[in-house]
Amino acid sequence: MKALMLELEPIIWLLFGAGMMVGGFVLPAFIATVGLGLVGDADAYSYDRMYALLTHPIARGVALAAMALPLWGGAHHLRHVWIDFGGLKSDGVVGGMLYLLALGGSVAAIVAVVTL
Amino acid sequence: MSHARPRLDAMKPKTAGPTRTADPRPPDKFPFRGNYGPYLLFGSCGAFLLLTSLIAVEFVLALGGGEAKYDAFMTRIHGGAYRGYFWIALLGLIWFTVRFLGLFPKTQPFRFGPLKRPPDAVMLAGLLGAFVALNLVVAVILGGMLG
Repeated sequence: MKALMLELEPIIWLLFGAGMMVGGFVLPAFIATVGLGLVGDADAYSYDRMYALLTHPIARGVALAAMALPLWGGAHHLRHVWIDFGGLKSDGVVGGMLYLLALGGSVAAIVAVVTL
Repeated sequence: MSHARPRLDAMKPKTAGPTRTADPRPPDKFPFRGNYGPYLLFGSCGAFLLLTSLIAVEFVLALGGGEAKYDAFMTRIHGGAYRGYFWIALLGLIWFTVRFLGLFPKTQPFRFGPLKRPPDAVMLAGLLGAFVALNLVVAVILGGMLG
């Protein structure tokens, strides 16, 4: 697993860098609105309005990027925190699990926007 | 005629022998000294990226599953534990992004192709402006204040 992760490092770095940028630029707004309802009234979050908003082709693309890319940013960060705390020997297992979680989440994100 | 210097391996031992490289170990007083604390906190904010993205995936899946599933999901995420998580994640992600953007100009090359690199302060102001503007745009669209 470690050898595979080393081989995929350029791709993982690309997804990681993009994930940090996209995550920072979109996820705080998602939390403030959908999570905490700090902007707009309850009608803004009704099923009909949200469905109409997110089925727009541009919104689907933005939603996919906002869901999938930060998964890789988060996985890569957590892998390195694990290594910093002495987990180098188990990096293959922990790093592999984190990237598999990001991969699974990305596939689920694609399914979510395609079937919407 | 090539003027390239011969490639030297300064780490290569003169005679072959067993590798005696020590195992990596953390610095003294790690993680409670110097900048290790904020550095690890910064990395740990990856958990907010990961968990919030998974919640966003569930949000869109619930939306695609019909009104009943969507309403059940929204009721669940507005409960106590989720609310607490969202407040911590919001503060954590804002701190994480501001710190990341602060580091960003230092990692950039001296020239961007034919263009001269702008001063760090200008680059940082642009990035922070984009951070605020993009989050505001997404917030007003999701919150129903635009369209």
